[in-house]
Amino acid sequence: MGDLPGYKGASLRFLEEAGAAVGDVLEVRTSWGTVTGTLVPRYLDADGEHVVLKLRSGYNVGLSLEELVDAKVAAKGEKPTFSPPPPPKPAPGLPKVLLIGTGGTIASRVDYRTGAVRPAVTSDELYSLVPELSQVARVEPEIMFDILSENITPAHWAKLARRVYRAVKEGVDGVVITHGTDTLGYTAAGLSFALGGVPVPVVLVGAQRSPDRPSSDAPLNLLAAVSIAGSAKFSGVYVAMHLGESDDKVALHRGTRVRKNHTSRRDAFESVGVPLAAVWGRNGLEHVADGLPPRGGEFKPAPRFDGGAALLKFYPSMPGALVRAARRSGSKIIVVEGTGLGHVSKEVARELRLFVRSGGIACMTSQCGRGRLDLNVYDTGRDLLRMGVVPLEDMLAETALAKAMWVLGTGARGERAKELMLKDLAGETTTRTFPG
Amino acid sequence: MKEELLVGLEVHQQLACRTKLFCACPPLKSEEFPKKFERRLRPAQSETGHLDPAAVYEYAKGKSNLYFWNPESSCLVEADEEPPHPLSAEALRDSMLVAATLGSHLMDEVHVMRKIVIDGSNTAGFQRTAVVGLDGSFEVDGARVGVQSVTLEEDAARILGEDDSSHRYALDRLGVALVEIALEPVAGDPELVGRVALHLGRVLRSTGKVARGLGTIRQDMNVSLGGGKIVEVKGVQKLNLLPKIVEYERRRQSMLRRVAEKLQEKGVKEVVCSSADVTATLRGSPSHVMSRLIGEGGKAVCISAAGLGGLLGWEPEPGVRLGKELAEVAKANSLGGVIHSDEFEKQGVTPQEAAALRGAVGCGEGDGMVLVAGRPESVDRVVPLLKARLAGCVGGVPAETRAPTDAGETRYMRPRPGSQRMYPETDIPDITVTRSEMAELARSVPEDWRVIVGRLERERSLSADLALKLYDMDAVGEFEELSGRLRLEPSFIASVLVDLPTRLSREGVGEEGYAPPALAAALEAVAAGRMAKEAVPDVLKLAWEKGVTAAQAADALGLGAVDEGRLGALLDGLVSRHRALIAEKGEGAFSPLMGEAMKEVRGRADGSLVARLLKEKITEASGAAG
Repeated sequence: MGDLPGYKGASLRFLEEAGAAVGDVLEVRTSWGTVTGTLVPRYLDADGEHVVLKLRSGYNVGLSLEELVDAKVAAKGEKPTFSPPPPPKPAPGLPKVLLIGTGGTIASRVDYRTGAVRPAVTSDELYSLVPELSQVARVEPEIMFDILSENITPAHWAKLARRVYRAVKEGVDGVVITHGTDTLGYTAAGLSFALGGVPVPVVLVGAQRSPDRPSSDAPLNLLAAVSIAGSAKFSGVYVAMHLGESDDKVALHRGTRVRKNHTSRRDAFESVGVPLAAVWGRNGLEHVADGLPPRGGEFKPAPRFDGGAALLKFYPSMPGALVRAARRSGSKIIVVEGTGLGHVSKEVARELRLFVRSGGIACMTSQCGRGRLDLNVYDTGRDLLRMGVVPLEDMLAETALAKAMWVLGTGARGERAKELMLKDLAGETTTRTFPG
Repeated sequence: MKEELLVGLEVHQQLACRTKLFCACPPLKSEEFPKKFERRLRPAQSETGHLDPAAVYEYAKGKSNLYFWNPESSCLVEADEEPPHPLSAEALRDSMLVAATLGSHLMDEVHVMRKIVIDGSNTAGFQRTAVVGLDGSFEVDGARVGVQSVTLEEDAARILGEDDSSHRYALDRLGVALVEIALEPVAGDPELVGRVALHLGRVLRSTGKVARGLGTIRQDMNVSLGGGKIVEVKGVQKLNLLPKIVEYERRRQSMLRRVAEKLQEKGVKEVVCSSADVTATLRGSPSHVMSRLIGEGGKAVCISAAGLGGLLGWEPEPGVRLGKELAEVAKANSLGGVIHSDEFEKQGVTPQEAAALRGAVGCGEGDGMVLVAGRPESVDRVVPLLKARLAGCVGGVPAETRAPTDAGETRYMRPRPGSQRMYPETDIPDITVTRSEMAELARSVPEDWRVIVGRLERERSLSADLALKLYDMDAVGEFEELSGRLRLEPSFIASVLVDLPTRLSREGVGEEGYAPPALAAALEAVAAGRMAKEAVPDVLKLAWEKGVTAAQAADALGLGAVDEGRLGALLDGLVSRHRALIAEKGEGAFSPLMGEAMKEVRGRADGSLVARLLKEKITEASGAAG
């Protein structure tokens, strides 16, 4: 079974009878002719009626069992051994960068026999895939998790923060974290709070096009992230992704102000309400925003999170029961994405009042995506303020959620927790709203 | 002894689908491109650490790709900014119909693959492609030609231009559905290859599913001589060039094999190459050639090639020399300055300079030298390529990809891709074709074009040439419709449909003028006796020029048909003017009078009617006289 991944039913029996394993070269007789090719694995959800061969031309074809007469193994497959061309060695004296992998494969190679994609796990492999890396830093790769980004939790944020803390103590010049793009913004926000005062750049990076394709944005993003982490004069938590659709510039976003605003484009990530932290071109940083913290300084890590916070998006006719459900599931802070300047219906407002009275903290953000709250303009807003809802200014809802989990992780409750939610700790709120 | 020439044709034909293969964009040619972006492609490494040689070669050129696009013809899918949409069901059906028509076995489970192509012609760095049929065949002139596979794939971006630093592509053509038909190699003469391609084109058109017009069909050819390595010639658009290109490749490959034989005769087992930077040696040279090659800030490197003295400029057959091959490799890498020792004198290199170069690289008596000069980075990239090419001379023909030239020759493009360039397109699940869809396809297979042409010859008494032309112009349906409806000679209808458009376009009359409706209207007028056959060309020409209907044009020319009554009166006048002649010659007066009558009628009446009436009138008149 282990030799025939994905095969089931009649096709599994057919292949077992032939003594075949994936990777073997099979000679298959069919009702219309003989087909020779390498047996490749089958997708898990595919039927049990076909055998898939990779022809000498490289094409895969699905042969219907109905037409197959018999098969014989013409040659046993050989396990491929990886022997990359010798990678360039990094020059001595380059900055040292820890590269943490979390599962979004940012550098990988293709098994052309079976079509599988394997991540690159050693620095040699990285250098041979993106040779330019050896010109900018001594990279030390380390795979911490191998999970899709939608399965990342605050527990992972905490582990990442502790690893960064250790790395800083060990003396790295910067840290790069590769991460699936879907929840990259949440992790960046969580780390921004957990790594308060981090003295080196911590750059999260992902790719919108998978690295097994020649057009992937991964190499350029990775090169920019490693280069910035190793050599930038500033510190803090950032996200590095393509600035536009071209392979020429990479934008650096502040970890608390970044959002994925497109499902598939390379430049999906945008800085919301603040200018870009920096722009990187092929020759290095081309532009750096004013006011970024310099390297060094007092590092006050607080790498603990408490998942007891919820994010609710208000919608017309939203039942109040959803607020109750959040409370019952253990949420001590509920972040609401209200409409416009920060509004919800009477029904939801009533439930929020009950939540606040029972000791919970209700925070308001806006689902508009851009701009600042104002709960004083309409009666609904004033009512919400009166009942104790905390207006989070222009904080992004995702950042507010990550912050709430971190605030709870510090052990703060009640007024102290409210105070922390409102206080600008990592650039998550601004006092002035700019055009654009 | 003539060595066996094997030619495998790969025909790429665009399908006439409503949308592109993996998105809903229309297959439309754009003239303007308001948007652009720039990308760099990298070779993706295989599990074994291998990189595709063609991919590495393109990457080493260090060129970026500029893409120009217009939202009318492309979307984020072509820009590689969005995953592909599900494969077009229309294109799948049409490609399977092509496969069925070529007698292929249809795949009931289709797997879309990614084929690595990193010359920039695809924004993704790969082309999506899937086998829809295997193991077909057809016959041409009694010879069986095997069809290895029929694949459905996306067309590449259209190249707009290239310079030293970038390729420029338009995205409008990227993603258009096309079928690739890979034929088994046929042995034989270059002319057969042309006939096979012509036949295949007709088969494709017989399905009614393929696009027409310039650039919608192109051929690749795999040519090998005497069991040697395969040379791929990519993108031949003109069918009449195929035999010429095959013949050129035969000469070229034969030359390379003979160079290898000469080396063997000389006892050279390995072409050892050494090189030296000779910029300083040549800088002070009075030779104009050298100073031009080195130029400002340039560099010159001399390569020695053991045993190749006298063979670099050797031309055993017309137009093929090893030196030309080397220059092509350099040119493909944006370097023009390559000269070799067999042409030193012709190129103005003095004997003193030649001696200095010889000394610099330690070149012996029977050895050759190749001098490369130009921008330092280009020279550095090209020198190892030339060394590899020279070293490969002992092996005869190298496997490479070449491009056709307008003169029917070929020039070097890049090494041939390896087999490690295909892997599954994970964004597109495998596609199942149902039994009823298969049955429907089997029912839709069109009639063999040869049967259709044969029937036209037999049943409509058309000449073979006319029948074939009708078929090739897609005018069989129009012809059948008109000849069923109008009381006119089928061969007359056919010649109007086939020859007139060509004749008129030669006279500068545009397409609209001879579009089928105009031709049909003219034929109807002839059949109804409103216009004479002979007037058709002039009428159509005027109709097109003035933008009026055929009837209006006929009136304007005074070519409105004369009816039998008026014709009778006209002939009466003629006969009465020539009574003396008729009295003298009797019926023998017909010939001269017929000529005169036709002059007067000027195409307004059918010639046979004029003849019949005139005969009657002459008989009458001579009877009365007698």
